[in-house]
Amino acid sequence: MIQKEGSPIFNKTMLFHLRSPRSVLKKVLVGLILFFIGALVAYVLPFLLPSAAAVWGRHPLTPIFVMTVIYLLAYKPVERFVKGLLEKHFFHKKSFTQMTLMGLADDLAINLDLQEISNLVVNTFGEVLHLKTVALLVPDPVQNNFEVASAYGWQISASKRLRLAVDAPLVRVIHESGPHILVRGLLLQSLSWQEANALSHDFDMLQAGWVMPLFVKGELVGLVAFGALHPDTMFDQSDFHFFREFAGVIARSIHNALVVKRLRQLNLELQDSQSQWIQKTKLNAIEQLAAGIAHEIHNPLAIISGKAQVLLMQKGPKQLEQNVQDALNAIVKQTRRAADITKKLLMYSQGARGPQEKVSLERVLDETLALLAYQASLDQIEITKTLDPELPQYYANMQEVREIFLNLLLNAVEAVGTQGKIQVELKYRRDEELVEILCADTGKGIPEEHLDKVFNPFYTTRHEAVGLGLFVTKQIVHRYGGAIRVESREGEGSLFMVQLPYVAEVPQAAETEKKGTFAFVSGTEK
Amino acid sequence: MIKKMLIVDDEIEICEFLKIFFEDRDYKVATGFSGEEALEKVASFQPDVVLLDIQMPGMDGLKVLKKIKAEHPKIKVIMVTAVETGDKIEEAMRYGADNYITKPLSLEYLEKDVQDKISLFAKGA
Repeated sequence: MIQKEGSPIFNKTMLFHLRSPRSVLKKVLVGLILFFIGALVAYVLPFLLPSAAAVWGRHPLTPIFVMTVIYLLAYKPVERFVKGLLEKHFFHKKSFTQMTLMGLADDLAINLDLQEISNLVVNTFGEVLHLKTVALLVPDPVQNNFEVASAYGWQISASKRLRLAVDAPLVRVIHESGPHILVRGLLLQSLSWQEANALSHDFDMLQAGWVMPLFVKGELVGLVAFGALHPDTMFDQSDFHFFREFAGVIARSIHNALVVKRLRQLNLELQDSQSQWIQKTKLNAIEQLAAGIAHEIHNPLAIISGKAQVLLMQKGPKQLEQNVQDALNAIVKQTRRAADITKKLLMYSQGARGPQEKVSLERVLDETLALLAYQASLDQIEITKTLDPELPQYYANMQEVREIFLNLLLNAVEAVGTQGKIQVELKYRRDEELVEILCADTGKGIPEEHLDKVFNPFYTTRHEAVGLGLFVTKQIVHRYGGAIRVESREGEGSLFMVQLPYVAEVPQAAETEKKGTFAFVSGTEK
Repeated sequence: MIKKMLIVDDEIEICEFLKIFFEDRDYKVATGFSGEEALEKVASFQPDVVLLDIQMPGMDGLKVLKKIKAEHPKIKVIMVTAVETGDKIEEAMRYGADNYITKPLSLEYLEKDVQDKISLFAKGA
């Protein structure tokens, strides 16, 4: 926005009509010095030098004329001299402040990280000027308002909640007044009651006595709102001049950082959609492969297993010898194991297309525990569950959630072997919007060098197992944007942690068509 | 009462061991190795129950199922599949298949299921 000179609610001179004791002292000193010099030249000099008296003449107004000329000519140099003197001997701190802030400006010029820039600005500003609060707000293009990038003297939670609408009275005033520093008291006095009321609300919300807009080429890229420790703190005209210069530097840095941030975001989005696409393609390829393998391998497996079963179950007087029976049983069992591999691969590739519904995690956990209860009691494994009373319903594909629980628990049961404990815990972290599944066992643990391999496909320590359980679990968890990790100590047990981002509603409710109802009956390896 | 069963699969070996297994249990068994052959056998043999493979070259199990259920709604049909994909099984169930079973087969389970379907057939359900 371009500044409008002499706009009705605002004018330039009003903003700088400030007199701090410092500047009053300066002006008084300059006045005294000039008066002294003037008086010396006009009245004392003619007495000492008769030739000068001849030049001055005898007119009574001559000394006053001389004094005026001296005053006009010498004002600026004397003022500069007095200012330098004062700053050197009395207001050393002020020049130190300016130097610090200018140093900061140099640092900012080469920084492109919005967070770092904001932190530097608010902290330095707050410390150096002894302020109570400083908040730097930048535009949030998504929500179309201003959010706090960094704050000094604020509670983090309070500053995070703080939002300033793009059409808030304060923002409107900033657009009208341009890059000037807004002073709360002066500004409010100049406005009508209603306008002042609306505006003071914004100042109060920002806990600010001053607002420094950050403009780059007429575009508002942010604002710094600050409030003083003492209510009678004042800044003078030169301070405001300095603030304006400083604001220009910050504004450019923030503008650059915002551009970089946006670019990074775009880049991430691009990478994200690319990896989603790759993942989808991968899944399709695996599905086709698995379906092909299933067809080609399940037929011969069916023949092998079928012929063995025919022999095992044949009617009539002749009994098979025990060793033959054992061999046939092994054949049947191993063919089923081989078939499980392709089943799991298929399940994994198809899972992504399953319908999403509201799932009670507690119920799915209970169902899974019921499946394992018999086995657990045989092995003397005690399974306990802890539930968060605030656990919400989770939007997910039921089969996939079941698969997560089943694989974690099967893994734990297997790790424990006989006699031991398994603890399952469901937690809801409201602040982080996460649902957490913890599964701890007192089993044999995982050797440290194998910790990073447990989620690899076909990793297993059992002869009987396929080694896809935890791999599939990880894939499912990742598909939900979650994370899975494991902590383990050999001989003491393991803890598996799954974190799933909490989704209250499914993004598109269109996918209500029941698909994959018969998709699979979960096969436990036995 | 004679229990009559038709086994349809393009894998001859599968038909063979199933034939041996069920003949051992006093079933009268006919086999077919393609969809077309299956329909012929249904007409000539008049089975109580058909064990029908879904994936076959040419006329596949789903088409055969539709024809059987259209012409002989009383005949019980159990679908057999090598791939447990939801779509095809769901489609088969919609066309009126009475059950499905996946390869490799558990003969113990299959025998029970066939027995169930035959008694249902006998009741005319």
